[in-house]
Amino acid sequence: MIIDLLAGAVRGGTSIMYAGLGETISERAGIINLGTEGSMLLGALGGYAVTAHTGNPWLGVLGGAMAGALLSLVHAVLVVSRGANQFASGLTLYFLALGVTALFGVDYVSRQINSFTPYAVPGLSDIPGLGPILFDHDPLVYIAFVAAPIIWWVLFRTRVGLLVRTAGERSEALGVNGYSIKAVRYWSTVAGGALAGIGGAHISIAYANSWFENMIAGRGFIAVALVIFAMWNPLRIMAGAYLFGIALSLASVLQTAGYAVNQFALAAVPFVLTLVVLAVLGKRTMLAAPDELSKVFDNSRTA
Amino acid sequence: MTQEAQGTSGTGTETGAGTIPEPDTEVSTVSADETAAVAAAIVATALPAEVPTDRGPKISAGWSTGLRWFVALLAGLILFGAFVLANGADPIQVYADIWTSTLTQSGQFQQIILRAAPIALAGLAVVVPARAGLVNVGGEGQLIIGGIGAAAAALWLTPLMSPWVVVIAMMLFAMVAGALWAGIAAAMRLVVKVNEAVTTMLLNYVALYTMLFLILGPWKDPKALGQSTSVELNDAAKLPVIAGTQIHIGVIIAVVAAFAVWFALTRTTWGFRLSVVGGNGEAARRAGMPVVTLILTALLLGGALAGLAGFVQFAGMEYKLRPTFGLTIGYVAFLASWLSRHKPLPLLLASVVLAAIAVSGNSLQINSGLPAASVNILMGLLLVAVLGWTSPRKATS
Repeated sequence: MIIDLLAGAVRGGTSIMYAGLGETISERAGIINLGTEGSMLLGALGGYAVTAHTGNPWLGVLGGAMAGALLSLVHAVLVVSRGANQFASGLTLYFLALGVTALFGVDYVSRQINSFTPYAVPGLSDIPGLGPILFDHDPLVYIAFVAAPIIWWVLFRTRVGLLVRTAGERSEALGVNGYSIKAVRYWSTVAGGALAGIGGAHISIAYANSWFENMIAGRGFIAVALVIFAMWNPLRIMAGAYLFGIALSLASVLQTAGYAVNQFALAAVPFVLTLVVLAVLGKRTMLAAPDELSKVFDNSRTA
Repeated sequence: MTQEAQGTSGTGTETGAGTIPEPDTEVSTVSADETAAVAAAIVATALPAEVPTDRGPKISAGWSTGLRWFVALLAGLILFGAFVLANGADPIQVYADIWTSTLTQSGQFQQIILRAAPIALAGLAVVVPARAGLVNVGGEGQLIIGGIGAAAAALWLTPLMSPWVVVIAMMLFAMVAGALWAGIAAAMRLVVKVNEAVTTMLLNYVALYTMLFLILGPWKDPKALGQSTSVELNDAAKLPVIAGTQIHIGVIIAVVAAFAVWFALTRTTWGFRLSVVGGNGEAARRAGMPVVTLILTALLLGGALAGLAGFVQFAGMEYKLRPTFGLTIGYVAFLASWLSRHKPLPLLLASVVLAAIAVSGNSLQINSGLPAASVNILMGLLLVAVLGWTSPRKATS
């Protein structure tokens, strides 16, 4: 049962990890995107639709990434170029995505697709305990294993990462050195949306293997909160995402094991857990926030 | 925008001559719905060119603002039409259906007003904190918790007291519950400095699951068929309606609340201080204003107003908690507040407009077979246009 729980955590946490990594990139550049939930929704439907039409889930992942990126591009236009409030823009786009996916998703409800299947890594999956937990999953789970370290490396050890972080810490330094602040923020936001789109696609074409309205059910908002208590660090995102995976898979594992639990009490667990963690670690955590992001947090322009 | 423009003009000089005639030939060969999409895209991209934005703050008055709004709304409608067309329905027919079924029947008009009341109240829950620079995304959860508070009062007090006392108790329970719920976010903002937009959002889900837990568990009506609900409110404790109509007094509560908030924000010291905190928190602190108290009261009052919306929804509309109780009202209210630029009286109008769109979703489903949630597109586009292209402020950063 513990193995079921942890394996479920790795599977369920993957989508949150992708979205959290994406949100980390854009927040490192000083842009908070509550539209992550919307990008995931579009990614889920985009991935599902492309897979349904082409029969190839890998193209589905690509489609999901593009759909997610498209929505975050709108966010970038509104926030970076038009100076709109970041929270309002993000939520508006969540709404837009909710409507768009409801309208275009009708055709795909209860439609069968050629989804990702679990692939047991030869050798590694035979390790008792660890094997079934880590090495008997769909390919997107394995890619997530390496995505977090790679994104950490890019952010903290490369020139591109330095530009992204400068946009979030002291953006005027970019201008002084001849870089465009706007361009860096555009690319960071769009890259973040693409990752959120992949996270959404993971849910529809690898996790649930179906499409239904509003299927992301708040995972995108969890991802946004996760970024805060992961202190904008991709490696902590990885750990945090699996922690949420545990909370998410708790309900189904307990019910299969025959415990009579009210499923809704358990469904609230990830959200309560997030709030508790924020309450306990919040103050110390917020000191680690990128400077330009702190400005957004401290005093939002509300007109 | 600027470096983008430079980029395109840079490549344009190299390939310009070859690309200019292309659009004509393309448009003539593509199918009808693609042309519409292209037209919509042209409208969307033409927006910033048509309405110059960098004229400074004085532009907010008069013509120019009116034009911006008109173009923004038109672009939203055209884009939605393109979406509908892409999905195989006739947009003109859809708009005609929406028009006839929602605006030409008096019953429907009353429905819109009834829907607008909780939206306006939950919208005020966004307006008040916004004055202090706070983003309350938690209207949805605070409304649900308000509904739970009202239901609790109804459940416990109906056998003991007269209906009038029960109504008053429901209202108080709902407001206190909503305020406490927002108080969690306020405490986290003040004590651990976590932004209220994130916490109120998370609390929405906790509120929803709490309600679902209650109506599928301890509060489940044993006589409910099919869908689980709580026990229905006693007839005597339902909000009275205005004679000859379906309009209940919750509508009046909403209008009174809007005027009260307008008065508090514009005519009292508290309202003035709130806007100073919203404008520049540091300046407010240096001037010796009680910033912590102001932030706390703004969020608590916001929560209480959303709780009041939950009471109106419970005692005036739904009479029982069900899994879809108050669904999306809080989010729509958030959009209504932004649509009205956080001004209490224009908020009433914005609430009616968004309520009309929401009601039209039903007719969309019935007449065109499109999902009711599709109207969220129209709301989203409207807000995108308003957020991006009606602000008098020049883009910063």
